[in-house]
Parts: sequence; C-alpha cells; structure tokens
Amino acid sequence: MGRENHKLKALNLLRSRISDPKFIFKPLRDSPESNYNKLKFMVSCSITEACNNSILLLGPRGSGKVAVLELVIGDLLVEYPDMISVIRLSGLLHSDDNCAFKEIARQLCMEYELQFSKAASFDDNSQFMIAVLKECGLAHKTVIFVLDEFDLFAQGKQRLLYSLLDAMQSVTSQAVVVGVSCRLDADQLLEKRVRSRFSHRKLLFLPPSVEDSERMLQHVLLLPIDSSLPHDYAVEFNRKVHNILEDRKFKEIFNKYLNWDSSVKHLLRFLFSAVSCMDLETGFLSRENFETAFSNIQRQPKQECLKNSSILELYILVCMKRLEAKEQSLCNFNSVMKEYKNIHDSFQTTDYYARNVCLRAFEHLIHRELICFADNRGNSLSLEFRAVKLLISSAELHQGLRTYRSCPPILQKLMDREG
Amino acid sequence: MDKEETPQIPRRTTRSSASSSTSDNAAANKVFTPDPLTINDLVVGGDPISLDDLISKFPGRKSQIIELVRLLGPLNSPMLPLLVYGGASTGKTNIILQLFKHLKRPFVYSSCRTCYNERVLFESVLNQLLLHRKYSANGYSNAKRCERPSDFVNFLREALTNVINNLKGISEKSSSNKLGERGIGYMVYLVFDNFQLVREWDKSSIILPFLFNLYELLKMAEVGVIFISNSSPDTFYSNMGYVEPIPVYFPDYTEDELKKIFIRNQANQKLYSSFQDIVLRPFCRITRQLDELSTAFKPLFEKYCEPLSNPGVVPNEDMKRRLFSHLKPHISYSLNEVFKVSSPVISPEVEASKEIKRKGNPKKSEHSQEIEELEFHMSTSAKYLLLSAFLASRNPATLDASFFDSTGGSDNRKRKRKPSEKVLEQKESAEELLMKGPGTFPIERLLAIFQCLVSVAEDPSDEEELRNEGLGVQGGNGGLMSDVLLQLSSLCNANFIVKGGSCPIEGSTRYRSTISEDLAIKVARSLKFPLSKYLYRR
Repeated sequence: MGRENHKLKALNLLRSRISDPKFIFKPLRDSPESNYNKLKFMVSCSITEACNNSILLLGPRGSGKVAVLELVIGDLLVEYPDMISVIRLSGLLHSDDNCAFKEIARQLCMEYELQFSKAASFDDNSQFMIAVLKECGLAHKTVIFVLDEFDLFAQGKQRLLYSLLDAMQSVTSQAVVVGVSCRLDADQLLEKRVRSRFSHRKLLFLPPSVEDSERMLQHVLLLPIDSSLPHDYAVEFNRKVHNILEDRKFKEIFNKYLNWDSSVKHLLRFLFSAVSCMDLETGFLSRENFETAFSNIQRQPKQECLKNSSILELYILVCMKRLEAKEQSLCNFNSVMKEYKNIHDSFQTTDYYARNVCLRAFEHLIHRELICFADNRGNSLSLEFRAVKLLISSAELHQGLRTYRSCPPILQKLMDREG
Repeated sequence: MDKEETPQIPRRTTRSSASSSTSDNAAANKVFTPDPLTINDLVVGGDPISLDDLISKFPGRKSQIIELVRLLGPLNSPMLPLLVYGGASTGKTNIILQLFKHLKRPFVYSSCRTCYNERVLFESVLNQLLLHRKYSANGYSNAKRCERPSDFVNFLREALTNVINNLKGISEKSSSNKLGERGIGYMVYLVFDNFQLVREWDKSSIILPFLFNLYELLKMAEVGVIFISNSSPDTFYSNMGYVEPIPVYFPDYTEDELKKIFIRNQANQKLYSSFQDIVLRPFCRITRQLDELSTAFKPLFEKYCEPLSNPGVVPNEDMKRRLFSHLKPHISYSLNEVFKVSSPVISPEVEASKEIKRKGNPKKSEHSQEIEELEFHMSTSAKYLLLSAFLASRNPATLDASFFDSTGGSDNRKRKRKPSEKVLEQKESAEELLMKGPGTFPIERLLAIFQCLVSVAEDPSDEEELRNEGLGVQGGNGGLMSDVLLQLSSLCNANFIVKGGSCPIEGSTRYRSTISEDLAIKVARSLKFPLSKYLYRR
C-alpha cells in the first residue's frame, strides 16, 4: 500500500505541475533577460514611483503571456502587500463596454468590501471607477488592470480603453494597464485618441527554442529529491527521466512534435498525455509513454474519417472527385448519382445500391464533414439539389483508399486514372 | 437505441425518471416538495461497476476506456481539457457516463442538443451545481438567471468553489474515518455533450472560443472539462484560435466488433452468429453505424428464423445452408431498403396478404404493389393541388399553354426549331434540372394549372371526381379559392410544397414542390389521372 501510494503521489505531483500554467515558467525568475524580469521591473517601478503605466504583452497563443503575468503579480503581491489590487478582465467575456464597467465595479467592490449595486448604470460605474482610482492614488495603492484578449476590447467604440487610459493621464491616479493579446498588431487596432494615451511599451513572447524546451521538460519531469517521496524512488525516477531525455529516438519524436507547434502550452499538452500514460505498476516514465502520447495527440482526422467510411461512401467520394476533375464547377447529389451510374454501367461493379440508400450515405458524408454544402442559401431546396463541395484533397483521398482495408480495386483504379 | 445501451441505466434516465415520479406525487399532493438535492447527487448512484465489467460491457472499446481512465487520472489529480470525438453511435457519451459511475466522481453533464442555446446551457450547468431542482412549487424556475458569458463565469466560479469546499470537507471526514475506501474526491468535471452543435449557435463567434477557454478562464485546478463531439477537432475553426484540448478518438466499430456487439443479448447465440456470417459483410459495405444496422437486422433475423420450429435450436451445417437459401432473396432486397422507415399503420391482415404474395413471387409483386399504394391519406382536391404544384415545378412556364390549352396555343411556332439545336438544348436543360432542382412558381400559375387539371378530371367516365371537384369549380370562384388556399397552406406545412423567397421583380411569394417523381406518379395513379400526358420530358 505504501509503495503504491508514493507512485500515485508522484503522478499527482507531475499532473498538478503540468496543469498549473505558472509552474513551468518559474525557472525564468533567475535569468535577468527574461520577460518575467522585464515585466516585473516595469510594474514594480510604477508601484514604487507611484506612476501610471501601460504595457502590451504580445505573442502567439499558448506562449505563456498570462502565466508569466500571473507569476509576476503573485510575486509582487507578496513583495508589496496591501499596495496592489488586481482587476482581471477578458475580452471573451467583457468586450461589451457596459459589461466591462460593471465587472470592474464589481471587482473593485469585492476588493474594498463595498456594496455592489447590480442596477448601477454605465455612467455610475465609470464614475465610480474613476473615483476609486483617485482614492487609490491618494492612498498610494496601485490598481493593475489585466485585459486578456486585448484585441477584442478594441472592437466597437473603445470607450473602456479610452476612459481607462484617460484616467491614467492625471497625476492623482496610480494604475497599470496590461493588455494581453495574440495579435501582434493589437496596438494598431486602437483609435487615435486611445493610441495617443497609450505608452507603447510592448513585450514580445516567443516560443522557446529547442534547448529551452528541453530545460523546461527537465524542470517539469524531475522529482524533488528532498520531499515526502522516498529518496531512492525519486533518484531512480530522475535517472530514468535523464535516460529518456538523452535517448536519440525520444529526441526525434520531441523535435517532430515541436516542429508542428513549439509553444509552451502545446508542450504541456504533450507532457500531460505522456505522464498520464505512466505505468503505475512500475511507477516510472518510459520512452514508450512519450511514443503513445505522440500518436494519441497527433491525429489525422481526415484519414480517420475516411477509414470510418463504408465502401458505398467511398464510391460517392470518388464520384465527386471525378466530377471535380471534369471541372464541373458545382455538383449535387443528382449529378453524383449520374456519375455513380456511369461508373456502374461501364465497370459493372457489385456495389450498386438504390437511390435512397445512396442518399443516406451522402448524408453520412455530410455528417462526417467530408463534404459540405457550397452555400448556406437554398435551405428550402431538398438535399438532393443543394450544391456540395468536397473537403478533402485528392492526395488525401488517394492515401485513404490505399490504407483502407478491403478497398475495392476499382476505386483505386478510378482514382489513379484520374490523378 | 442500440443493444448495448438498453441494459444500462445512464444517469440521464434516472434523473428523468426521478423527476417524473415527483411530478406524479405532486399531482396527488399539491404541497409536496421533493427532498433537496445533496452533493452526492452529482455522483451517479447505484451499484458500483468495476473497470473489467465496464470493458466487457463495451466490446471493442477497451483501448479508449483505458486511455480515458489514464487521462482522468487518479483521485484528486488535476486534468487538462479533453475532447472526445468520433462518429455517431460509437459509444462516446455512454462510456463517459459509465466511466464516471465507475470512478464515483462528481460531474455535471449537459448536452448542447437539449440545451439549445447559450443561456439554457449556462442555466442547466448552474442548476446542477447549485443542487437546484425544478418542480411545480418553484414554478420550474432556474436557480440563476444568466445570459452573458461574463455572468456565467462569475456564478460558475462561485458555485464551483462552494461545491469543491463541500467535497473537500467530505473527503477529509471520510479519509479520517476509513482509509481503505475510496472517497469521491474533490474534482468536479464539466461534461459538454454534442459539442459540435455549438458551432451553429454563435453568430457572434464568441461562445465557441469561450467554452474552449473555460478552463483557462476559471483558473481552478479542481475542475476538469470534457467536450464530447461528433466531428473531429479540425472542424472547430474560429477566427480567434484556442489551445486545443487533448483529443480522444473513438473510431467507428469494425466488422468484428460489430459482430461482438450484436451477439450480446441474443437468446440463441449460435443461431445468430450463423445469421451474422451471411448478413454482416454485405451490410457493412453500406454502413457501419450500429443504430442503422440494428434496425435493418431485426426483421431480417425474424425472416431467418421463420423456417425453424424451435428458435432455441443449435444449427448444423445442413440447416445453415437451408436457412441461407431461405434468406438469400431477402438480403439483396433489404440492402436497398436499409434506411427506409416502414409505416407502422399496416394492419396485420394486409401484412399477411403481402406475405402470401411475397412467397408466391418474391420480388416483383411486392414492387408493383408498392408503387400503387399511397402510404397516407389525402383529400382528392389536395391530391390535385399536389399534382399541379408538381407540374408547375417541373414544366417550363412557357409550355403551359401547349399542355393545357385545347387549341395548342403557340405550340406550332416552338416546335419548328432545328433538331440539332433542340438536342443540344435538351441536354443543357436536363443538366440544369439535375443541378437546380424543381423550379419555383407564383401562386397564380399554380391555381391556373389546378383549374385545368380539375376540368380535365371532369370526365364523364369518372363520376365521383365530377361530384367532388365539379361542385367546387362550379360553386362560385370565391369558395373554391379559400378552400384551395387552405389546402395549399397545409401542404406547405407538410413540406410537400415549400414557400420560397419572394420574386425580386414582382415581390410575390413563390412556391416550389419538393415531391419526387415517384410520389407524384403514385398520387396520379390513385386518382387515375394521366400525369405523363402533361409532364414535359426533356
């Protein structure tokens, strides 16, 4: 029981490390050039010098912008207790100005234990915010506004951005606005009156290099030696992890995976999948875990769809491909059926089914999203007449037919002739 | 739906049965209030189910179950969002629900099909988390009114913190009591079923990235999010982008797996397997979907058993051969009928008489009979109206005169074209018909054709029609018109005729008939109306 227990504990530890987006960025604290330190410097400056600031964090999705920011905020909250309050907004939720002001008022009320009124109007809320900002400035408290999905706030009239940045022009207030966006041109989206009030500080988050990724891997996977886990077990575990990381085959997989997408979130996904494959009998990670994780995550949905299709459905796809090759700009079920009949007439295939059966197979293909309607119009038309288009390329179809078990040779021949 | 699902009782049905019983009680006793839900209601009750049972319950799904168990992880371990995807009837929902029954962990299930828009979805999740039950005393109201994603996140966070704190309290207590038994833990899982439907909801394209990012927005490690979808992850594109959840793929069942599934719950497994040997292969060429196959197999198996006096018999080679030759003629016929929904109203006598005919001359009599018979009842004037709509959709408007005018109209001029030109045009127009479908027509044209048809039907040889229809025509135009318009609207409601968009020039509504030629011929035959005389053949 006891031995099982520490294996479970180790697994739980690894899983909670991976699910905690902040953990993987913790080693960044030590390198002075990292975004963590730059950001921390900027924010702590405005706290200590009681000035206003605005920063944009830009970088591709999953590169850890929010995680680093949260790490910074967490550390600053420890360093300067009672001097910071954080307001968090997300463009996904609060892109509507009205809603955003309400949320700001709500969070401010929570922070300072005030009564929040749901019925307050837009004006009330914005005046309340400015008043609180003023009070905070007088008390030398900094309010940090985190605007996630910043580009979504730039839709519409940008009243929120304007009033936030405008409030920061006065000497009395003391606030930092941190915008986070995966659009690199986010500051270009701002109106002129907003842009002129914005400080144009930008931090760029880039995906880590391969070496950095490997360092992160070690950071996440190695167990702490001096903890509640048995010492022998942790040492053995770490040795195995080192072995895996040195393995040439593992490096191949790892590089292949990073070539696809090298962002940190993506890496964490891979690690999570690999760690969940860990064998609890032995309690150690193995290279096979990473291999299965790789094959589980790297999916080829179109090929899977083709593999799921029945032979009749493949016939229909091939017919459509042939029509496409004949440069018929539009096709619908009727023209496909004509082609299907042609094939049957010239090759005498065994798979010739009634029209309603084919129609159902056709519907299956639409459900599988291997074909789709060419336009949204014509909803009044029945299915047979609506124009459709193929969603797979002929190379994909070729490959799918080749790997399909018991695919009728006639289909391959038809495809070969055409391709 | 399919055989594998019948013996189990997923939570959805237990919930609904629970609520139905409460409503019964409420009817009997007005002041009845159901017991308040406790936190244990988030866990599936009933007998515990072991992992081995679970795997044997779902043939061909072992690797997926194990993968899911691994990804869900041990008790109280956090999890990244999952996307479970695979075709229809591959057991996604059922396996997830059973898995939670096995694991005994609290979860919230909401299907995006029953929760048909964001608001209903939000409120359903919150109701379950707040342990709120709708019943007559509270007017079937929701626990919270919640329309915007921003409110939802606030409410959700609040509710989840409550639930998680409760769960933590419980698990602490239970762990101090007895160490051996597994508690229910303090992870709460949110399951969103039929997630592919969300793509069609959002005109503002916010809700999809919102739900995908829900895990990040909540920033709570104790929450697991699982999406179940029919369509693969590559079909969820949005202009926002999101970090993809971890995919778990459920492939369609292979032929061998289907065999294993169908053989379960069969009284005579030997007999059924010999039946499957014949049937499964040809049917799998058409479809491998479990639900469709099971409906197709049921009547076939009955047919297969027909010559047997004792259904419990174990077939030997000779008998197998005999049964095969008995079934053989039916297979190819039923292959082409796979998806046909048979009308349930056929009385046993009719069935019996059909049976006799089928035995005498298996295929031919059946087909000819079917064409003659209409499967539904319709008034005579509605039939005429349907026919005239069909003609109006199929025939070009310019030829109406030549078909219905006794003098022939401008027919002569039209027919004088050169033959080669005509052939070419015919080809083109045939193609056009294939592509465009039935044409549209204004209501005036429909009524004109209708009147023509009715007047044709006023043939003295057909007296009944005369009485039925003649009355309408002669009895003043106004009465007829209102009647016909009513009929037209009911035909529209039945989807025989579709109201199309309005004509851009005239601004009047245009109609389009959607019935197939087969149906039109059936209707015409039932009226003894010579339809082909009036149908323009290209």
